[in-house]
Amino acid sequence: MKHLKPINKKARQMERLAEEGKLDEARVMQVVNGCTSTFDPGWEVDPFGGIAALCQPVEADLYGCADPCWWPAQVPDTINTHPNWSAEAPSGHRDWRNLQPVFRKK
Amino acid sequence: MKSKSLAAALVSLCVLAFPAAVRAKEYILTAVKPNTLMLVDAAARKVERSYVIPGEGSPLGIVVSRDGKVAYVVTNHWGSLIGIDLDSGSEVFHADFSHDDLRVRNTFGLELSPDGKEVFVMQSSVRLGQGEYEVKDVGIAVYRTDAGLNATPQRILPIPRRTTNLLVSPDGTRLYAVGWDVVTIDPADGTVLKVDKVLNWDRKDQAPPDLFGVWIQYEQTGIFANPYYTTRPGADPKDPAAARTGMLVLDLDTAKFTMAEFEDTSAIMFSSVVNPARRNEAFSVYNTLTKTDIESNRLIKRVPLPHTHYCLNISGDGKELYTAGTMSDIGIYSTETLERIGQIDLPGGNDMGGTWIRMVQR
Repeated sequence: MKHLKPINKKARQMERLAEEGKLDEARVMQVVNGCTSTFDPGWEVDPFGGIAALCQPVEADLYGCADPCWWPAQVPDTINTHPNWSAEAPSGHRDWRNLQPVFRKK
Repeated sequence: MKSKSLAAALVSLCVLAFPAAVRAKEYILTAVKPNTLMLVDAAARKVERSYVIPGEGSPLGIVVSRDGKVAYVVTNHWGSLIGIDLDSGSEVFHADFSHDDLRVRNTFGLELSPDGKEVFVMQSSVRLGQGEYEVKDVGIAVYRTDAGLNATPQRILPIPRRTTNLLVSPDGTRLYAVGWDVVTIDPADGTVLKVDKVLNWDRKDQAPPDLFGVWIQYEQTGIFANPYYTTRPGADPKDPAAARTGMLVLDLDTAKFTMAEFEDTSAIMFSSVVNPARRNEAFSVYNTLTKTDIESNRLIKRVPLPHTHYCLNISGDGKELYTAGTMSDIGIYSTETLERIGQIDLPGGNDMGGTWIRMVQR
């Protein structure tokens, strides 16, 4: 753990409990159940180190990745918090200008 | 010889006496945003009928009863399964997965028993606490298809996490769960009957394979095929053979399971379908359409596609391929030459996204 530094409350709790041998007491998400628990930054490069093998065009891939929260950092959580984010853009290729950024509710 | 001729004559007579009305016609069933099923006459290259599914979301998994009458569709942001009668268009089944303080989602796995009486839904649950989420065990929820519009599971079958595909044997006695391994269970009680290792394979010459199996499209053959990718430990990354592509093949009838590489990785493929006319031929899509021989494990041909497709299916006579997913067009290709021989533009031009493409006889 010496190369990892906890930056939030849960991570600090995990570090402390790991040192005490009680890691099981800190629950960790283990499966995709919404965008907040997915740790997949999206495909910026393809497996060959280029971009030709990414989905073409990128808009074709929008809902295949946004709907299952494959791109949690790039698009809103459409499973939980912003289910209707793409309601005005049923075609990613044609309607992408209708997709708006979302902001945290205070 | 004489009796054969007589039999042939009788068959011809029957065909003439009972024209198209009693002979099943082949349809493509897929979906577009928002929440709409599309039933496409494959031969006529046109959408015969569309069905607006009640509620929010857009379809993901689609399974169809073997008589071609009812389609069961996962929608509502992966939170509900809805059955649509393809004759009347009415909603005949509805199950909302979440209940009480449990948020429940389906993650791809969806299958129907061969007799159409039960539907299997891979489910992942989280208990929403006051200040935390508690991850619960995943499971396969089994619903009776006659449970109506407020259906609840009859039973939950335990299954490993990361299961994505569910596939049933033709006799209904085995349910295959595809994930890190292919786990075969008894659909009655979840008893594990067999485990075919995938990521946990025993090979030392190749790294654990990467398998992305989320589309079901085996109905023309009863054979599930899915590409996988693996690397050679210690290989020079510049060596073309450092990464290899193979095909996982599972015969749902015999339970025969094989994995074999057929090329140095040179293209990505998302999903595959096997040819019912020549069962050694598999076809795969993503940015290209690829034809492989799964008996001799070799690449036969690869052609570029106009845009990415996630999934595909094949005509019952094995002559035509239908590429689908992502945008709003179904590409039609010859299985013989991989030549593009047609296209069906879905009305409205809306995206299919990650939904499936199924072939229906009705």
